[in-house]
Amino acid sequence: MIKKKLVIALAGNANVGKSVIFNHLTGLHQHIGNWPGKTVERAEGTLYFKGYTIDLVDLPGIYSLSTYSLEESISRRYIAVERPDMVINVVDASVLERNLFFTLQLLELESPMIIALNQVDVAKRKGIEIDVNRLEELLGVPVVPTVAVKGIGIFQLLEKAIETIEKGQAEERVKVKYGKEVEERISDLTKMVENTRSQYPPRYLAIKLLEGDEEIVNEVERMEPSIVQHAKKLASELESIHGNSCSTILTSERYEVAGCIAREAQKIIPPRRPTAEERLHSITTDKIVGYPIVALTLLSMFYAIFVFGNSASETLSKIFYGTEPLFAKIFGTGIFGALIWGGVIEGIIAGVTIALPYIVPFYFLLYILEDSGYLSRIAFLMDNVMHKMGLHGKAFIPLMLGFGCNVPACLGCRIMETERERLLAAFVTTLVPCAARTVIILGLVGQFVGIQWAFALYAFDLIVIFALGRIAFKILPGEPTALIMEMNDYKLPHLRTVLKQTWFRLAEFIKIAFPLIIVGSFSLKLAEIFGMLEKIASFLSPVTVTWLGLPSISGITLIFGVMRKELLLVMLATLLRTTNFAEVLTPLQMVVLSLVAMFYIPCIATIATLIKEFGLKKALSITIFEIIFAIGLGGVASRILAMIL
Amino acid sequence: MEGPIVPLTMLRNGEAGIVVSIRSGHGGGRGCGFERRLMDLGLTPGTKVTVVKSAPFHGPLEILVRGSRLALGRGMAERIFVEIEKV
Repeated sequence: MIKKKLVIALAGNANVGKSVIFNHLTGLHQHIGNWPGKTVERAEGTLYFKGYTIDLVDLPGIYSLSTYSLEESISRRYIAVERPDMVINVVDASVLERNLFFTLQLLELESPMIIALNQVDVAKRKGIEIDVNRLEELLGVPVVPTVAVKGIGIFQLLEKAIETIEKGQAEERVKVKYGKEVEERISDLTKMVENTRSQYPPRYLAIKLLEGDEEIVNEVERMEPSIVQHAKKLASELESIHGNSCSTILTSERYEVAGCIAREAQKIIPPRRPTAEERLHSITTDKIVGYPIVALTLLSMFYAIFVFGNSASETLSKIFYGTEPLFAKIFGTGIFGALIWGGVIEGIIAGVTIALPYIVPFYFLLYILEDSGYLSRIAFLMDNVMHKMGLHGKAFIPLMLGFGCNVPACLGCRIMETERERLLAAFVTTLVPCAARTVIILGLVGQFVGIQWAFALYAFDLIVIFALGRIAFKILPGEPTALIMEMNDYKLPHLRTVLKQTWFRLAEFIKIAFPLIIVGSFSLKLAEIFGMLEKIASFLSPVTVTWLGLPSISGITLIFGVMRKELLLVMLATLLRTTNFAEVLTPLQMVVLSLVAMFYIPCIATIATLIKEFGLKKALSITIFEIIFAIGLGGVASRILAMIL
Repeated sequence: MEGPIVPLTMLRNGEAGIVVSIRSGHGGGRGCGFERRLMDLGLTPGTKVTVVKSAPFHGPLEILVRGSRLALGRGMAERIFVEIEKV
């Protein structure tokens, strides 16, 4: 038998269980990258089934195939241009009508497809019973009921997909029938575009031309400008008949069709008592109880991370530093040995023992919160606070991530809708005290000045975040966008999907951060060996000693801190030859040093991420601003605080 | 009987209305995008919308539309005009 290659794409709304199905099908054979030249994630995996090698592509979760967002236009192009052998449309059975709206658009694209009717168990609990055969009849495409989290129906889904590819799709698929006036104009335009060499089906082109879809209009304009002119005329005729914009008319009518199909295929008998999910939702979004629950959840989350992180970090350090004598034996203790150990291995050790123990549990818990649906409730409650900074509730999520590590947090800013908001959110995020900065605040100020001062610094940081966020929001041109977000029903997080997400984020972090850590610690070690550090320190002394009132060696530690903030503390201990900082630094110096450390620059991994996401210019602007801001602030603070401390 | 037409934000918790129109935001381009987004989520003219609750301190609204639960920023909700349903 000849082994054949197939490409199957998963498409559907956000949060319908697409990635759970994807994980079930591909297991460990998957990789996550980006769409060429885009910051949108592309998950791909391979599986073998009945002699086929199947390439499975998980398209981003979207609500429509218009070009409102990058995700939507990528998905549409992919389906129309790359033509996968099969599109599996994952549909949430408990929100059938809204999901069918997307299904109808896929049908208009005329791609081969089958439907995975997912979460039928959730629907049943909500009193929604769906007649699968009737739905199949109405849509003219195969429908397979599934409960992805339990793995039910996944095998049948794949079997059905292959069967449909082998047999070819039935012809009598439902066509979205619009009103008479609209249909007339669609068929008029369809005839005109039939001869263009577009990759989209003619009827689809006609519909999108009437809607005024920018991408399609531009494409047709290049081939045949007269068609666009004609479409504009037809659209304005429709607009005067209906008194609404043409895209409104078509969207309404498409939803009408989706509604009819949904009503035909489902029976709803609402349960007499609200379900447990329903009650949990009411409590967690309550205007009084909701906030303490958010605070309690976040606090216990951070507490758990720190407890776990501390002990894991200690254990790992012991193990790794235990290998030092072995290294000394192999590479000697000369310049070469020092470079290998201090420049490369110690960098890796620091990364593994300091960053990972905090980042891994952080991601894990965060994805549990996200997968369960609680994160969207937090965004709902926090929306108006974020609004003061020109952001909306969703920005709270990367901000939270920032407390763990700024790198993934900056990557997380992709969830914002516009470039302006992504930048604004990323800027604010780089000011969030990450785990490393918390180590400095607690290890220096908390331990030697007093825990109340550590908390004061933390509180001050939050105020600065808020103030600078607000200023940046006023300065950056453009308009704030409002929150539009679905709040899916609560569900038990799917452990395997959560673990996989954690793993991919971790891999992404390692890829960005570790090369930098190694290069950085190597060059610092070189500088140290060649006695450059003292020169740098004395060069910086006008700032560090005169302006900030710190000892001269703090200049060296601040440079090390650029690599990773917590190295500042490590270097301080090394250079001062003591971990009892109270002997060598005054309380005032410790507070000022921590304050400067909090803001003075995003660490090098964060800068790299900013460059990757926003380009060199914007990344440098943020970096330079923060250097100036922190030095200015530190000097002022040292003079004011001198009166108290 | 036609009910009064008001912005969505005027509805009390538990009240429902029929979408009449969505006013585009100032600034044109972007505003239109959000109008599209709302439509894609099912807020087309003639659709029934129920306000479940609103978050405190002028926070977002929680609404039910076509069987799905959405959170909508207040600024956005103010631009959605509905006809109050007579019970």
